[in-house]
Order: sequence, then C-alpha cells, then structure tokens
Amino acid sequence: MLELRGVRQRYEGRTVLELDHFTVAHGAIVAIVGPNGSGKSTLLRLAALLEAPSAGEVWLDGRRAPRTAAARRRVTLVEQRPVLFRGSVRENLEFGLRMRGTGRAELEARVEAVARQFAIGGLLNRARRELSEGEIQRVAVARAVVLEPDVLLLDEPASSADRAAALQLYQTLQEERRRRGLTICLASHQLEDAYRWSDDLRALADGRIVPISPENLFRVELPAGSPEVARHVRVGPVEIAVATERTGPAILAVPPSDIILSRAPVATSARNVFSGRVTRLVRPRPGLVHVTADVGIELVAAVTEEAVRELDLVPGGPVTCAFKASAVRVF
Amino acid sequence: MDRPSLGDGRRRVDFLADGLRRALHLLLAGDAEVLGITLLTLKIALVATAIACVLGIPAGFVLATRPFWGRRAALTVVNTALAFPTVVVGLLLFGLLSRRGPLGGLGLLYTWQAIVVGDVLLALPIAAALSAAAVQGVDPRFRRTAETLGAGPWRSAWTVAREARFGLATVVTAAFGQCTAEVGAALIVGGNIRGQTRTLTTAVALYTGQGDFGLALALGCILLLLALLVNVALQALQGPGRA
Repeated sequence: MLELRGVRQRYEGRTVLELDHFTVAHGAIVAIVGPNGSGKSTLLRLAALLEAPSAGEVWLDGRRAPRTAAARRRVTLVEQRPVLFRGSVRENLEFGLRMRGTGRAELEARVEAVARQFAIGGLLNRARRELSEGEIQRVAVARAVVLEPDVLLLDEPASSADRAAALQLYQTLQEERRRRGLTICLASHQLEDAYRWSDDLRALADGRIVPISPENLFRVELPAGSPEVARHVRVGPVEIAVATERTGPAILAVPPSDIILSRAPVATSARNVFSGRVTRLVRPRPGLVHVTADVGIELVAAVTEEAVRELDLVPGGPVTCAFKASAVRVF
Repeated sequence: MDRPSLGDGRRRVDFLADGLRRALHLLLAGDAEVLGITLLTLKIALVATAIACVLGIPAGFVLATRPFWGRRAALTVVNTALAFPTVVVGLLLFGLLSRRGPLGGLGLLYTWQAIVVGDVLLALPIAAALSAAAVQGVDPRFRRTAETLGAGPWRSAWTVAREARFGLATVVTAAFGQCTAEVGAALIVGGNIRGQTRTLTTAVALYTGQGDFGLALALGCILLLLALLVNVALQALQGPGRA
C-alpha cells in the first residue's frame, strides 16, 4: 500500500531520516515509536507527500506517488499539535470535502456522521479559540477521517487527550478500519497505545529503523575510555554500565526481556542494578506483562504473569531492575 | 541681536490658530478646489495601491514560501527598495517618461497616470516586503494542513492569506499611506498642475511655499482624515476578533 523506498531526508546538511525500505500493508495499523527527534514526524510528512525527500521515493499501491494535490488526496496527515483554520469546527470539517467538490447534501451528511463518530456534535459551531487542546486534536482527526483517505497518518494523535479520550479515539479508528479497510500509520510516544492498537511496531532511532523492541531507548554521548572494562554512561540521573568500544553519540537499547526484576537488590553479576517503584503494568498479550519502573529513568521489563504474582508487583510498589553491561545494545 | 518678545510668541499662536480656523472653514464649506484635489489624490492612491498590492502581495508570497535560486538576493533587493528616496524614483521616472526618454512616446509625463506609476514603484517594495514578512509569520502547519486536506497551490495560499490577514491588512494600509503621503515623485512627474495633477501633498508643499498656511493645513487635515478612514475600513473588513 504505502512504501518509502530509499528515502533520505537532510536538513541543512544533517541527515534526519534514512530508510531503505519502509512499508505499510493495506488495512494495517503500524505504529512508529522512538524518542523525540528520531525522525517520526519527518517520516510522516514525507509519506503524506508534503515534503520532497533529499533522495528516494514514496510509492502508493505499487506506483510512484507524485507530490500533487490529486495524490495527496489519498493520504491524509494529522500533525502533532494540529492547527484548525479560522472559522467554526463545521467549516473545518467541510474544508477537505469542498476541495474535492463534494455536493451540499453529501457534505452535510458526512460532516454530521463524522461528528457523531468522534462525539464532537456539540462543538460544530464553535471557533478554535473556544476548544481545548484535546478537542482540537479530536476535531483534526475527524477532519481527516471525513475525507475517507486510503491512508491515514497520525502524529501523536492522543498526546493531548486523557486516557478515556485516547481510548475512545483509538476505538473509533479501529471501527473505521473495520468499516472500510483504512490503512493507518501512527507515531506515538505512548508505547502502551502503540502495543495495544497496532498490528506492527517499528522503532525509529536517529532516523533509522532499529531491529529491536522500542522500549528503553536512550540517546547518549559515549565517553572515550578503555574498552576492556564496562564504561559508565550517564542517562539522566543514573549511570548505565555499557560494554562497547564505541565513542561519541549513540543510542543505547536495553531489551525488556534482558531485565531481571526483584523486590529488593540481590547480588548478581549484573553491573546495572537500579531500584525504584513500579509505575504501570501493561499486558500486550495474555501471559506477558510489561512492567514499567521509575528508577530515575523509565525502564520497561517484560516478565510473565506468574513472576508478577510471585513478586507481588503492583503500581507504586518497590522494584529493582538488573541487567548486564553486555545486555545493553549500542546503535 | 534682537531677542524675541512676548508679542512675537502671541503672533505665532495667532498664526497657527488662523491656519486652523481657515482649514476648518474650507473643510466645512466644501471648497471646490479642495474637493477636486482630494478626489484626485484618492483616485491616484487607490489605483496605485491596488496595482502595487496585486503585484506585490503575490511576490511576497513567492519570496516567503518558494525556495528558488537567488531568493535571498531578491529579498535584499526588495528590502533595499524600501528605502528608495521618492525624489530619486521621480527623477528616474522623469528620465524615462520625458519626451527624449525611452518611454516618452507614451505621453504620460505631467499626467495623473505618471504619478500612479511613480507611486506603484514606491509602494511595490513595501507590499512585497511586508507581505513576505506576514506570510513568513504564519505557522507552516497551516499550509501543510491545507495541502494534506487536498487543497491545491492557490487554495493553500488563500488559507495562509486568511491566517495572515492582519499582516496583509497592514500591507494595504502601508501601501496606501505611501501613495497618499508621497510628494517627491508626484511633484517631478506630475508637475503640480492645477486641476490636473495637483494632489494633496504637492498642494501642501505649494501653498506652504506661497505662505497660505491655512489652505495647506486644511489639506494636511484631509490627508490625515483619509488615512484614518482607510484604517477604519480595513479593520471592518478583517472581521471581529482574532479567531
């Protein structure tokens, strides 16, 4: 469906995105996760045909997609912190339909339907200054969905929404996908949402897709030092022991399955031992639990349901995370 | 050397008061000559502002949004042209339009159209530079949002213009202000011919020189009134609030 082939994007001589091949299959929901500045928004803007890549091409349904208004009508982007145009919410929802020359009766019917779908019927006559950030975001998603694009690109679609509103938004998008086979590509900070709502997850770090799980990614500056001993790298308020010969800027990744949890520190060969509190438990699939711990930085560990029970891991409870210096991967 | 006496001060105040009284009288009486000069000024300013904005605002959009070779140089030229002395423009235009000049055959010299050409040359850089600044001030997300919702280049530009409407209204006001206030070029290429090319500014210059302070002041007041009216009209057109 959507493909980015050999796409590179450079801003002022700096490469911010480097993708050999990125595809989103028809009807799939793909989540792109990664830290700030990893290139998520750039990827979405390129996929939306809004920017010309420095190299490479965007393809739709096996054909090269030109950056024309006609091609853009198949792919619609909702930006992070979206903007509404001057005028009422209704006028905003009508904007794209007017661009497509939709007749009055159909236009009104579709606006009413999408307003019901996203529960924004009460906002239709309001101006943008009368809306909250969360409402603006919801209206912006509705403004894109009403156009029934083949591909919907969402950049942090629920960043201003509370949990209930985010849940409702994703449920509505799922319904829309079931109804007409909509393809969705979304960028998100919220791993929890990404796991729960996407079919496929891609981790982006420094503009590249990294072949690892997206949790526990840290951008660091590796100091020069002897490669024979584990070097200590500062990540926020903690120091992580890393076994690498590299120096300079790098991305550290700690696979969640390599983190061992205990209620209190225990003597092991692990060079990295951090104590803190459990902040949340997420169950991406039955039997598996992602435990997020605040140990000064946020660490996600993948453990079994049985381990959670035995260690009595509950939000707010004590937890110690341990992992070996050699478990830390460097990119 | 004689020191100014109190009597001198009083005479100066009387002179000013007389001028204001005369101005008020001329304004209220609807003097035919004053009316003619005002209408001609308005005609020249409106035509010149319209031409300058029709050419200058799209140029400003292109300068602000389209990356092209030499864009920075073009912006420098436009910004330099903002400070172009009006008499120099008048002089160059005189050279072009005079009988021996390359455009002498058009017979435009000493006509109101020649003043329009001079005003357009002076207001065009203002319109281009200020609209480029106004458009650059609009969040780039507005253009991208219009484009991703299916708008073509013209409709996207219109969306950006709507968001920049306060800045663009300032463009029109500034261009109109330049066209009504300009005196150098109007004097040189218009010739200040009574009943034909005498505008408010050239008339003020002439009557002040002749010592008819009251008439000059009356015309000056009309000039201010015109500026006020244009601003009020533009504000009304922009609609209420900053929604």
